[in-house]
Amino acid sequence: MTASVHSVAEVMAGPAGRRGWRERLARWRVPLSVLVLCLLPWVLPSQALAVNVLIYGLLAVGYNLLFGYTGMLSFGHAAFFGAGAYATGIGIGQFGLPWFAAIGYGMLAGGALAFVVGLLAIRTRGIYFSMVTLALAQLVYYTALQATSITGGENGLRGFTLARIDLFGWSIDFLDPVKKYYVLMVFAALALWFVSRILNSPFGAVIEAIRENETRARACGYDVERSKVMSFTLSGLVCALAGALFALHLAIVPLDILGIQTSGMIVMMTLLGGAGSFFGPFVGALAFLLMEDVVSLWTPHWQIVVGTVFILFVLFLPKGIWGTLLAWRAGR
Amino acid sequence: MTSKGLPSFPMTRRHALAGLAAGTATLAMPGLLRAQGETIRIGFPTPLTGPYAAEAKDQVRSAELAVKLVNDKGGIGGRKVELFVRDDKMNAGEAATRTLELIEKEKVHAVVGSLSSAVQLAINEVTRARGVIFVSISQSDTINEVKDFSRVTFHEALNPHMTTAAVARHTFKPGMRIAYLAADYAFGHEILRGFKRAQAAIGAESVGEILHPIGAPDYSTFMPRLRAMKPDILCICNFGRDQANSIKQAVDFGLNKQAKIVVPVLLYTQRLGIGGEAYEGVIGGANYYWKLQDTLASARAFNEAYRAAYKGAYPTDYGAYGFTGVSSLLLAMEKAGGTDTDKVVAALEALTYDVAKGPQHYRKCDHQSVQSVLVLESKAKADTPDEADPFRILAVEPASEDILRSCTELGFPS
Repeated sequence: MTASVHSVAEVMAGPAGRRGWRERLARWRVPLSVLVLCLLPWVLPSQALAVNVLIYGLLAVGYNLLFGYTGMLSFGHAAFFGAGAYATGIGIGQFGLPWFAAIGYGMLAGGALAFVVGLLAIRTRGIYFSMVTLALAQLVYYTALQATSITGGENGLRGFTLARIDLFGWSIDFLDPVKKYYVLMVFAALALWFVSRILNSPFGAVIEAIRENETRARACGYDVERSKVMSFTLSGLVCALAGALFALHLAIVPLDILGIQTSGMIVMMTLLGGAGSFFGPFVGALAFLLMEDVVSLWTPHWQIVVGTVFILFVLFLPKGIWGTLLAWRAGR
Repeated sequence: MTSKGLPSFPMTRRHALAGLAAGTATLAMPGLLRAQGETIRIGFPTPLTGPYAAEAKDQVRSAELAVKLVNDKGGIGGRKVELFVRDDKMNAGEAATRTLELIEKEKVHAVVGSLSSAVQLAINEVTRARGVIFVSISQSDTINEVKDFSRVTFHEALNPHMTTAAVARHTFKPGMRIAYLAADYAFGHEILRGFKRAQAAIGAESVGEILHPIGAPDYSTFMPRLRAMKPDILCICNFGRDQANSIKQAVDFGLNKQAKIVVPVLLYTQRLGIGGEAYEGVIGGANYYWKLQDTLASARAFNEAYRAAYKGAYPTDYGAYGFTGVSSLLLAMEKAGGTDTDKVVAALEALTYDVAKGPQHYRKCDHQSVQSVLVLESKAKADTPDEADPFRILAVEPASEDILRSCTELGFPS
């Protein structure tokens, strides 16, 4: 995974002209990303797909913080996505919270869960770390399955549909797909800015240092364990926000959201777009969902097509779509 | 998950349209939307991929047939009907997304479909918030209850309560010992609850219940425990491939000699899939069996139309839901003179229809289709000269509210 990354050091080492281009792109990455997100509902086949790209893109951005930048391959991020979604739905439906408080509640729940899982999981490395995160996420899945009175169990969480939302005196029709998209996009944009700030901070440099060489980072005096837990928690927090937006969007929380397939899909999207690049996860989510949407209209064997494309990417373009584009542009 | 090429339903055309729309903004094409205003559009989400793909494909074929029969007669008030089939992948989130797309992009007038308890509740949540009629064709007790009900929610499929009530009525006797093996998920629990309720009412005795995980390939650890319970009847409360696998292993352990095996839904596709020996003597319920044609003119007409359209194949039980569900909706639209939601809802509530299995109507309080329930027995191999006719109809429980839970019990004000 280190190969798919263009680190600060790499950029600094480049020739002056290239460096200028890369730096400008890096400085404007949040506004540029938001601009692209603004256009999505008008260029994709359906608004429902655009909202999904937004949500899963944000989910992959959160995951990328851990996987792409800190170099830890988690197979359990569905748990934080799901915790955010369930807590938001329960907040609205059972506690009667206003919608924005419910989003906060969802993030709090997902972040707290990520903190606990992170504390337990960072005691291991490599494949063991992946397995521990997977096992803990399965624990969350079965808890949600059994706690039928709270989560709705197998049938999923229902009964918290928002027809209108109120914001500073405005009342917005939340069933209108375009309005809903832009409301959710505001949250995604804030999260993107937040992630960008983290990556630009000294802490961002530390987690990249841990990814590149953990022993050396420790020798330099950084508290590796604390940074890892911090990165894990922040990553879980962003994923929980994606979950909260998912709950508001569909007005249901299906049990499958906590499943092993969701965790796998997050990894796939991140790899497809380009792990360790800022905008790559969005590109990955877009590519994955667009393929699924278009190919499944055409044949029930859509999984074969999507799977083949994924294998080809892993074999021949390990930097992913966006990562390869960046590398190609920089290499010219 | 064997899936041969489907007979030409208009997916290729839809694909072409999707491709056209992919590059361009849909909203920038008002001409296209106006042209669509002429046709009546019905969304049909169903799991074309996943463990119930075979049943889903039968649903699509039957639903296509219902649409074709109406279009052949000139449509509804001169308007053609078009079916928009979507793969919900047996995933509630995916189903909700597809339903949103059907409503927002294709502007469908109604949605029919689903083949899972969780999926239909997800679709229902999307449609009821937007006031779009949804006719569910998958079994569920929950959708009848007041919490998930809405003015636009209709349930064409049988529900676990009525299925088990009918099956138990014809198999359980007072004093019998009943053991249960149930799949550990919503459908399995609802079936188990239904059977136990019927068993208590009849005066039979429960000697134990075992839950198994959904999709379990191996049941051998459960079988000795079930044998030790010494049951007169073994109730296997699961669905699809789980049913075939568990019955097969129960027979391997000789449980069929010790007890009668009873299942809630005797699946035609599964019975043909694993052959007659394992299923011999197994009793179960069904919404439809093609042999009804011996006594019912509507069943004969449905079978003939289906066989003409699909190379002599017989319609299956779950497939028939696609036909009865879409047909009831189209009949109501015809009565309502169009697609106005309030008028179609009123027409559906007032409708009595007999399109395949005798008279049916939607109960006023919960919109559950009151309909006959078949109790079938799987024949021995020697008695099955015709491969396509593996079942014997033991009884037809007539359409009646007696086997439904009362409106007050479901939480509706009396």
